[in-house]
Amino acid sequence: MASFGRFIRLAVGACAFLLIIAASVPCNAQQVNPTASSVKEQQLLQELNRIQGRVSIPDQRSGVLEQPAGRDWREFRNVTLRWIGGIAILGTIAVMVIFYLTRGMVRLESGRSGRTLVRFTAFERFVHWMTASCFIVLAISGLNITFGRPLLLPLVGFETFSEWSQWAKYAHNYLSFPFTIGVVLIFLMWIAGNIPNKVDVDWLKRGGGIVGHDHPPAYRFNAGQKAIYWIVVIGGGAVAVTGYALMFPFYLSGIEGMQLAQIVHSIVAVLFIAAMMAHIYIGTIGMEGAFDAMGTGEVDLNWAKEHHSLWVEEEQAKGHTPSGSTPRPIAAE
Amino acid sequence: MKVFLAALLFSAIVAVGLSILLDAIQEPSYVAFTTGGARVGNPGHNLVGPNG
Repeated sequence: MASFGRFIRLAVGACAFLLIIAASVPCNAQQVNPTASSVKEQQLLQELNRIQGRVSIPDQRSGVLEQPAGRDWREFRNVTLRWIGGIAILGTIAVMVIFYLTRGMVRLESGRSGRTLVRFTAFERFVHWMTASCFIVLAISGLNITFGRPLLLPLVGFETFSEWSQWAKYAHNYLSFPFTIGVVLIFLMWIAGNIPNKVDVDWLKRGGGIVGHDHPPAYRFNAGQKAIYWIVVIGGGAVAVTGYALMFPFYLSGIEGMQLAQIVHSIVAVLFIAAMMAHIYIGTIGMEGAFDAMGTGEVDLNWAKEHHSLWVEEEQAKGHTPSGSTPRPIAAE
Repeated sequence: MKVFLAALLFSAIVAVGLSILLDAIQEPSYVAFTTGGARVGNPGHNLVGPNG
C-alpha cells in the first residue's frame, strides 16, 4: 500500500512537472508580436518628410525633431551659394577690368561746352545717395554673413571677427529700413521715365554706343538705365520682403518658409551686388561726365546731347535753358 | 556734397530711431514664451540677454 502511494505521488509530480514545462514553452500557433503593425520612424519620415511630436514647452517649434530638408538647405547655404556669389561678383569684376583695359573710358567726343543742364533735383540726388550708401553697407555686411567665416576669420582672428560681425549684423538689420524707404521713393520718383519703349529697342540694337563711337538717341533714361531701375525696384523689393521675413522669424511662415526666404534673399542679393558694381563703374570711371549727374545734379550740355539727345530736345521745348558760362571758343582744327 | 551728407545723416537717424523703437516693442524670448503653465527663466549671463 505504501509503495502504491509513493507511485501515485511520483506520477502526480511527474505530470505536474511536465505540465509546467509544457506551459512554459511558447506555442507557435498562438505567438503574437504586439509591435508588428506599429508605426516605425522611417515610415513617419517618408510620409511627413519630418519627425514631429507634441511638446508642452510654449515654443511649439521645438516639437520638430527632424526636418531633412534642412540638410539640403545647409548644403545650399554653405556650398552652392558661395559658388554662385563668388562667380557672379568676381566674374563681374573680371569683365569690368578687361572692358576698361580694352575700351577705356567713354569720352565726351565734342568736349565740354561749359554750359550745363539740370538733370537731377536735390531731392532725387538725396534719395539716390541714401539708397546707395545704405546699399554699400548692406552689401558688405551681407557678404560677411556668407563669406566672412571662411575668408575673413582666418585673417583677423576670433575676437575681432566676432566684434566686427556683431556690428555688421546690427548695421545690416537697421540700415535695411532707410534702404527700403529709398527703393520705394526711387520707384515712385522715376517710374514715369523708365517705361520701356521703341527708342530703347533701337538703343539696345546699337549696343548703347558702348562699342565704337555710336550715339544712339535716348530720352531721360536710356535702356541700360531702365534695366538698372527695374533691377533696383524688383531686386530691392525682393530682398526687402525676404529680409524682413528673416528679421522677424516665424512671423509669416514655418521653417520651410524661412529656408526659402534665405535662399531668395541671398541669391537676389549677390546678383544685385554684381549689377550695382557695373552701375558704379559706368557712373564713375566708365564714362566721362556721367558722375556730374548725381554729383552736382547738372550735366554738360554736350554730354547731354551725345548721350540723351531726345531728353535735351524735351527740356529745351519746356524752356529749360542751359546755364553756365558762354561757350569757350573752340580752337580751329 | 551737402545732399550726400544729408542722405547719410538721414539714414543714420532712421536706423537708430527704428532700433530704439523695435527695442521698446519687442520682448526677449524668455519673456515672450513664459506662460501660466511654464516658467522660462531669465538665462542670465549664460546666453545673450537684455544686458548682454
